[in-house]
Amino acid sequence: MSRRPVEIVASAVEEYGSGREAVLQILTRVNGELGYIPEEAMKAVAAAVGVSDAEVYGVVSFYSFLSVKPRGRNIIRICDTVTCGMKGFKDVVAAIEEELGVGVGETTPDGRVSLETTSCLGLCDQAPAMLVNDTPYIRLTPEEARRIVAGLE
Amino acid sequence: MGETRVLTSEKQPEVGAALEKALGMTAADVVFEVRESGMKGRGGAGFPVGIKWNLAGAASGADKMVICNADEGEPGTFKDRLLLEKYPHRILEGMAIAGYAIGSARGIIYLRAEYRYLVPSIMKAREELLEKKLLGRSILGGGFDFDIEMRFGAGAYVCGEETSLIESLEGKRGEPRNKPPFPVNSGYLGRPTIVNNVETFVNVPLIILNGSRWYRELGVGDDAGTKLFSVSGDVKHPGVYELPMGSTIGELLEIAGAEDVQGVQVGGASGTTITPDELDRRLSFGDLPPGGSVIVFDSSRDMMAVLNNFMEFFVHESCGQCTPCREGNLRLLDATRSVRSGEITGMEELKEFFVLADIMKIGSKCGLGQTSPNCFVDIMTKFARLSGGKGGI
Repeated sequence: MSRRPVEIVASAVEEYGSGREAVLQILTRVNGELGYIPEEAMKAVAAAVGVSDAEVYGVVSFYSFLSVKPRGRNIIRICDTVTCGMKGFKDVVAAIEEELGVGVGETTPDGRVSLETTSCLGLCDQAPAMLVNDTPYIRLTPEEARRIVAGLE
Repeated sequence: MGETRVLTSEKQPEVGAALEKALGMTAADVVFEVRESGMKGRGGAGFPVGIKWNLAGAASGADKMVICNADEGEPGTFKDRLLLEKYPHRILEGMAIAGYAIGSARGIIYLRAEYRYLVPSIMKAREELLEKKLLGRSILGGGFDFDIEMRFGAGAYVCGEETSLIESLEGKRGEPRNKPPFPVNSGYLGRPTIVNNVETFVNVPLIILNGSRWYRELGVGDDAGTKLFSVSGDVKHPGVYELPMGSTIGELLEIAGAEDVQGVQVGGASGTTITPDELDRRLSFGDLPPGGSVIVFDSSRDMMAVLNNFMEFFVHESCGQCTPCREGNLRLLDATRSVRSGEITGMEELKEFFVLADIMKIGSKCGLGQTSPNCFVDIMTKFARLSGGKGGI
């Protein structure tokens, strides 16, 4: 059962306070719980902290991990930077796309998985690599990637 | 080379020994020791650490801050990941020593969102230090208080730049600030603030325990200390290597097992691209700035595809605040694509783009736009197959 956006904001404000410096922490909490930050959450943050809605939206739009669009229950972030590119990123991402039936930047119709590319994950010694939610997966092969993706709830 | 490892040596000093020693010194003496060590910041920019601490210590203002920059995002860099995984106690101890040195009671680790899986080991280390009275109130029974909290990035390369990082900590878009004022005078929430890299803090306890002279002599020639290098790409043994600062890139590549070298990217995407003729160059702030990332490309690699990847990275990661960086990176990506597609065939046609690269280096507000043209200039002049060019086959 997911909480309503304003409830999440209220509890995050309780934890982090309503100072200007709490904005990113509050937004990160909403994003983590819902997978994205709906407009009503941005408005609630703006009201709680005392800044404009636009300023809050400006923060959300700046960071790649924050989203204003609904995303899947699981988020795959596959590294497309140079070393992973050299070590088979293309084949791995193609396998995942085929397994999911959606492309990069899209979410499966059942809301199970969103697929994104990301800048360097700092796993270049074990490339190619991806994060599924917060968990790293390394030395991926297309088969291994398919297996991981198929197992996501 | 095993004997040159100190940061990653099997034999590590007891946790807390350095902090205990530091607390027996005056704060000014701690700063002096770090300054005399000659250590330059390990994040890439290479600012002398002791000078930064001295300025922050001398700055007027309450609630001084110690910030650990764990926003490692330079393509090809993963040495801080290793340190956060394996040596979290020493990072926290180094931050506490910094706190004592500058007169700060509060530290923040700004961890990139991509490294959230490292949080448990860092928090466990903090708990252990709290239990041992090496963090928290009246550390080791004395009058010094210091505690550390964790905060997170949200996926933005530019937040590795210290003023962007501070903006992000303040809950804002991570856009770099105008300097001055410098963070040592007015940083997080206007407080005097030092921002140092993970590897910098890891060095601090060793400098305090063994002395500045010991540290200076670890390096080659004028360079002080050792340095961690993240090596990836076409090598037999990708991984993190610790070598004396000032070692040659050739020495590093030999250990990592690079057999076929067409080019090497030193210092990440924003660093320098070198050819096999340059392997005797030194990994040193005086020669090849050693951000810590070394990516090796063998002869099968298309260097123009590499450049294309780097420029796409910079276009994506430019914060967009200043024009030279926002527009410049786009134009350099366009030019790269034009060379790859054959629309541009000669160096003559690239002349204006090299002028643009210079403008970006001079006119961009922060390190991102000041360094992003490096790979364009290096790869176009050393590797591209263009008429009138030096590279090419």
